[in-house]
Amino acid sequence: MVEIALGTALAAIGAGVAIGFAGLGSGLGQGIAAAGSVGAVAEDKDMFAQGIIFTALPETQAIYGFLIAILLLVFSGLLGGGTGLTTTTGLVAIGVGASIGFAGLGSGMGQGIAAASSVGSVVENRDMFAQGIIFTALPETQAIYGFLIAILLMVFGGILG
Amino acid sequence: MADEIATLLANFGLSGEAFIGLLVIVLLIIGAVVVVIVSRPVLDIYPYLLPNARVRARKGRLFDEKQLSEIIESNDLNEITNYLRGFPDYAKYMDDYSLEKSLDIQLAETYALLARIAPADIKKAFVALAKKSDINNIKSLIAAKEANLDRDATINLLIPSGKLYGTLEHLVDVNNVEDIITGLDGTEYSSVLEDAFNEYEESKTILPLEAALDKYYLENLLSARNVPSNDNTVILYSYIGSQVDVSNLKIIIRAKVDGLNYESISPYIIINGHDIKEWKLKDLMEAEDVPSLINGLEGTDYAQILNETLNSYNETGSIGVFEKALDEYLADYTNSICLKNPIGIGPIIGFLTKKEREIKNLKVIARAKRENEFPIAEIQEMLV
Repeated sequence: MVEIALGTALAAIGAGVAIGFAGLGSGLGQGIAAAGSVGAVAEDKDMFAQGIIFTALPETQAIYGFLIAILLLVFSGLLGGGTGLTTTTGLVAIGVGASIGFAGLGSGMGQGIAAASSVGSVVENRDMFAQGIIFTALPETQAIYGFLIAILLMVFGGILG
Repeated sequence: MADEIATLLANFGLSGEAFIGLLVIVLLIIGAVVVVIVSRPVLDIYPYLLPNARVRARKGRLFDEKQLSEIIESNDLNEITNYLRGFPDYAKYMDDYSLEKSLDIQLAETYALLARIAPADIKKAFVALAKKSDINNIKSLIAAKEANLDRDATINLLIPSGKLYGTLEHLVDVNNVEDIITGLDGTEYSSVLEDAFNEYEESKTILPLEAALDKYYLENLLSARNVPSNDNTVILYSYIGSQVDVSNLKIIIRAKVDGLNYESISPYIIINGHDIKEWKLKDLMEAEDVPSLINGLEGTDYAQILNETLNSYNETGSIGVFEKALDEYLADYTNSICLKNPIGIGPIIGFLTKKEREIKNLKVIARAKRENEFPIAEIQEMLV
């Protein structure tokens, strides 16, 4: 059996929380956006491209969560190399995961709802595309905050460098 | 720090593995609580996403003011028909049916579509709304039979939509109104028509049968609205209740102009509207004339709009001005309640109201264009 330090195990939990909750938010958001897009495409086949664009937007939260999870796994020593993390740094890693995980959950769901409404607006009036993209991009900021804090926690919490 | 944590854990009798296990459980519980809390609003919104996108696409295809002006400025019915051929929603019927019938089919299809795609918590009401197609067809069939129209003329009156179209098509060949009612045995309309049959025989007009069907339609609609339990059902409740209010007011105004008393009006009135309660309806039915009826509406939105129309009624003597004002009020009111829930029931009701208005306006224009040289300004005044 491979010996894993307690700190490294805590970082593994952090990685799980990061991708788990961010992925949940992103998945729900994309599902919501996709449901709206399917309705639009059912009425107007030309809406396929716009529907795909709006449906793809809530993907970013899962990407942030995935990135943070990979960084945690690499720098905690779980993915080869390294000596493992101390327990304290492991606790920081849980904070890192929670930061992007929960921010991604809220941001993804919010973005999905905005995207579905925007698809509805665009299918009603094509000139609404640019405004729809802007409104849909707004809930991205919460995920960016979570991502930034996660990076800062990793840098100053001793995980990165 | 690590040592302090290890000491603390040891004091609680926890090993490192047990601590991790505990931490995982705590995180899972927090996660589950967060997911449940944030999922609730999503679960309310989710069923509306697909229907809303579909109706908004159709709403985008409704005629704007410029297009409506172009239709109004058409020289004759052929020009209107050719204009509508440029729009797929109407074009598919124009080759097979007359203009008016194509419009009726389009509206019936809209009701059927909404009944099909409406989310579960409001579906019953939209299924009840879609019964309008069957009720209109039954009324057309009865009217045709009463007027002794031939088979082709009768079939031409029926709209090929609704659950009963096949049955009604077979009933075209029966001898009289009584046979139509017998032929409808087993349907929900059979008992409604049977109850009104005696009155039909006494009055020798089909009005009691039509009124019974109209009343049944609205009562059915009222019973189909769920007790308000969320934003969507609250809006639906107001929407249907307001339709009943407006219908009641139209009947009472018409009756008061004809000098009818309470006993004559009350069988056609439906209680449990939105703003006008049962006791108020009784007062209105007992009013002496139209001005005192409007006075009796004090405290409701209807008092103001009907008061504003009273001068116009006095000048023209036509109760059409009241009906137009009430229709416009209903459209504006519906529009305002729809804006309250743009990611729920709002777009569905908004689209239905606008579609009904479009079809009504197109029919007004079509009727006007049948008359030679009907002034465009007058057509515009007649539009809702």
